[in-house]
Amino acid sequence: MSIVSNAGSLADLQRAFQDYLLEKSDGFAAAVRDTKKIDRVTLLGVYRDAYTLRLIEVLTIDYPGLMGMAGPADFDYMARAYIAAHPSHHPSVRWFGRGLADFLAATPPFNGSQAVIDMARFEWAMGDAFDAPNAQPIGAEALMTLQPEAWETLSFAVLPSLHRLTLTFDVPQAWQRRDEEEPGNLEVEPSARPTDWAIWRPERMTNFRSLEADEAVLLDALIEGRPFPELCEAIVPMVGEDQAMARAAGLLRVWVEGGMIASFAH
Amino acid sequence: MVTEKVDFGLGLRPEHFEEIAANPGRVSWFEALSENYMVPGGSPLHWLDQIRRDYPMALHGVSLSIGSIDPLDTTYLDELKTLADRVQPMWISDHLCFTGLRGMNMHDLLPLPYTEEALNHVADRVMRVQDHLGRRLVLENVSSYVTYAASELNEWEFIAELAKRSDCEILLDVNNVYVSAFNHEFDARTFLRAMPKDRVRQFHLAGHEHRGTHIVDTHDHPIVPDVWELYAEAVRLFPNVPTMIERDANIPPYAELLEELDEARRIAEQVRRETAPKAVA
Repeated sequence: MSIVSNAGSLADLQRAFQDYLLEKSDGFAAAVRDTKKIDRVTLLGVYRDAYTLRLIEVLTIDYPGLMGMAGPADFDYMARAYIAAHPSHHPSVRWFGRGLADFLAATPPFNGSQAVIDMARFEWAMGDAFDAPNAQPIGAEALMTLQPEAWETLSFAVLPSLHRLTLTFDVPQAWQRRDEEEPGNLEVEPSARPTDWAIWRPERMTNFRSLEADEAVLLDALIEGRPFPELCEAIVPMVGEDQAMARAAGLLRVWVEGGMIASFAH
Repeated sequence: MVTEKVDFGLGLRPEHFEEIAANPGRVSWFEALSENYMVPGGSPLHWLDQIRRDYPMALHGVSLSIGSIDPLDTTYLDELKTLADRVQPMWISDHLCFTGLRGMNMHDLLPLPYTEEALNHVADRVMRVQDHLGRRLVLENVSSYVTYAASELNEWEFIAELAKRSDCEILLDVNNVYVSAFNHEFDARTFLRAMPKDRVRQFHLAGHEHRGTHIVDTHDHPIVPDVWELYAEAVRLFPNVPTMIERDANIPPYAELLEELDEARRIAEQVRRETAPKAVA
């Protein structure tokens, strides 16, 4: 516990003030004065309350689906646990909630709900896509003029905003209903099987959609930068050797038209 | 629209992006919150660029932490400089406070003790930040709720001396002066009169929450009559300083802020008429 004298140095005072906000020590109260109208502890409480409430508000804005699932009281409990475990280390509150999904996955009692963890992962990915670096997606015509031999070494880069997730609950579907339900009433159904999702932002609107199983394998191989022939090979076990190239070319066209592909090289 | 005179401005808030682009009303400049645009891309920077094409802007930060005992965050300063290169702001402001230490950010504007030690510390850091950014820094007085027993100076003495030593400018938040004056039982007009005339670069106006025994600077309410009165005094003392209304929470419809801005305009005009040299009959 740090105790501060009235004549504390700047460093002592700042350390004690921060420790007070983090509820590590009440020693800072000795360094400030009562006023004629009110005692110092009440005044210091303005700072202590504001610290926590501000960060809860940030999480509320970043995780409306979690609020929908949990309701205000449980969300508040979860947020306070996260705030205590993860003080902000970034100049912008934009990044404060970055570790929430991992925190929930690692911390009882929150790790008991995979639906909550899935929602946190999905909402953070949506937020990441929202202000990710801009990139102009290529158009379908760019690939049409390529010589056949170019396809032997052709590789692609997806938009910087593109995220891949595998979720075991139907959180994107529930997230779309987040404003229709009273907080606490947002039900999230388990998926019939783990489902692959892509999230990306071609212009200013963020898109998301589920992927077929072979589409997810192909997209992951493309994200790794593997050339087109290897992409085809990656889905041979799922679609057969005779269908692999046509399926890969078809999916590539879908992604290009959906604005997911930023560039290619050969 | 390109306005030439920078007088009455508003804080740029995402809730109003589309309305500003479509129907901006009578406003001559915007103040953008620096950290909100220190992002790689997407909608925030799109709107920032679009609105900047039509209006002068100032950048206003909350995380410079100029008074902290932590080393200056050069990554943050580099990002701020990159943003400034993009926006070409009229000026860059932040707050006379600290926001955390040991690498942590409390995301609050924590007051400093007004001591000679703090003054030396802050003046040195202001000069280093000004060197880094290649421009003068504008620092805002914060609302505060506690008085350090260690303080040797008044807040207004501290700010005036800081401006002198570091060559920085002052963002005079009239609401914050009012809030701190009530909380610390000093005369708000004494504070205003102590500000060096040639250093007041900008006014802020905002609302607050009165809790009877103390006032909390919430920036989520309309401006109260007492703050308008103090604003009139500020305009008398510092004529022709750009004014801006800052609403940070409970964001109202854009039209309501334009109405508040009209009130600022009306008060400033009234002060100007009162203080204009009278024609001799």
